[in-house]
Amino acid sequence: MSPVPGSGRMEQLAQAVAERVVSIVMDAIDIDALLQRVDVDALIARVDVDDVVSRVDVDSLIDRVDVEKIIGRVDVEKIIERVDVKKVIDRVDIDAIVEQTELGTIIARSTSGVASEVLDVVRAQGVGLDDFFARWVNRLLRRSPESLPLGPPTLVPPSPRPELAAGPQ
Amino acid sequence: MTTVETVAAPPIEGRQGHYAGAVSRLVAFAADAGASWGLFTLGAAALSFSIQLVTGGHFTLTHHQVASLVVLVIWEFLYFAYQWTLGGKTIGMAVLGIRVVRMDGTPIGWRQAVVRTLALPLSFLVLGLGFLGILTNRDRYALHDRIARTAVVYSWDARAARLRWLARQESAPTA
Repeated sequence: MSPVPGSGRMEQLAQAVAERVVSIVMDAIDIDALLQRVDVDALIARVDVDDVVSRVDVDSLIDRVDVEKIIGRVDVEKIIERVDVKKVIDRVDIDAIVEQTELGTIIARSTSGVASEVLDVVRAQGVGLDDFFARWVNRLLRRSPESLPLGPPTLVPPSPRPELAAGPQ
Repeated sequence: MTTVETVAAPPIEGRQGHYAGAVSRLVAFAADAGASWGLFTLGAAALSFSIQLVTGGHFTLTHHQVASLVVLVIWEFLYFAYQWTLGGKTIGMAVLGIRVVRMDGTPIGWRQAVVRTLALPLSFLVLGLGFLGILTNRDRYALHDRIARTAVVYSWDARAARLRWLARQESAPTA
């Protein structure tokens, strides 16, 4: 209860007057005209976004996010249904992928099984022995392996040969 | 002590286009010598059988030494020249994963294939010294390579081989 007698009624009266005044003022204001006069760009320009972002505690924000709940709400089947797989595949340049990788070779050779395994071993043994003899000849001729070309210029750009530079193991 | 790298798995990566070494080339040539001789023998046997079938008489190419030698020389010429023209590699070279290219690395044409085939015997005729260049030469050129202006390079995709080997290791049951 208010310590001054009659102050409660005064407050109620002031409240009623204020509400009435605000109502009259709001009716009188043309909100659209007011908004048109606001320069939004200038307003945004005055906002220091970096400062705002730096104040945001991202970790705490992430902690509050229930990822499982979000994933649970996602209807994957519906998304997949909406994806035009054919269109996606059409946009993939398979030839370029095969050219840029050894995928084609892998696919072609991986099907040959035992034959390819034997070939791999025979060829690897051959290359190993080639390197062995090359190292000894280089030693005998006192020749630096790094000074030797690796291959024809159009196939191998000139560069040092680390595997021979190491010398005999 | 220096040991030969015995390679059960292919650790050699990225050798495509590098000059091929002496062992790979020698083994490829040995395989070609065997393959061409085997095919010649089979052809000769088939020819003898066909002639016997048609004429009813006995015929073997070995009884006509000069003729058989001429046919053998022509056959060997065709064996190497045709295959080198076709894809830069013979059967033996394909097995060992090597191929013949021009000195600049571009594919060879029929002219170079023919010149290389004709020059190949010269490397033997000088007591095999024509092959010494494969070991001693900076670019591993043999005599017939110099004459035909060719080089032998690895065409084997060792990276793919390594991936295959790794895949096999993963799929192999552990002891």
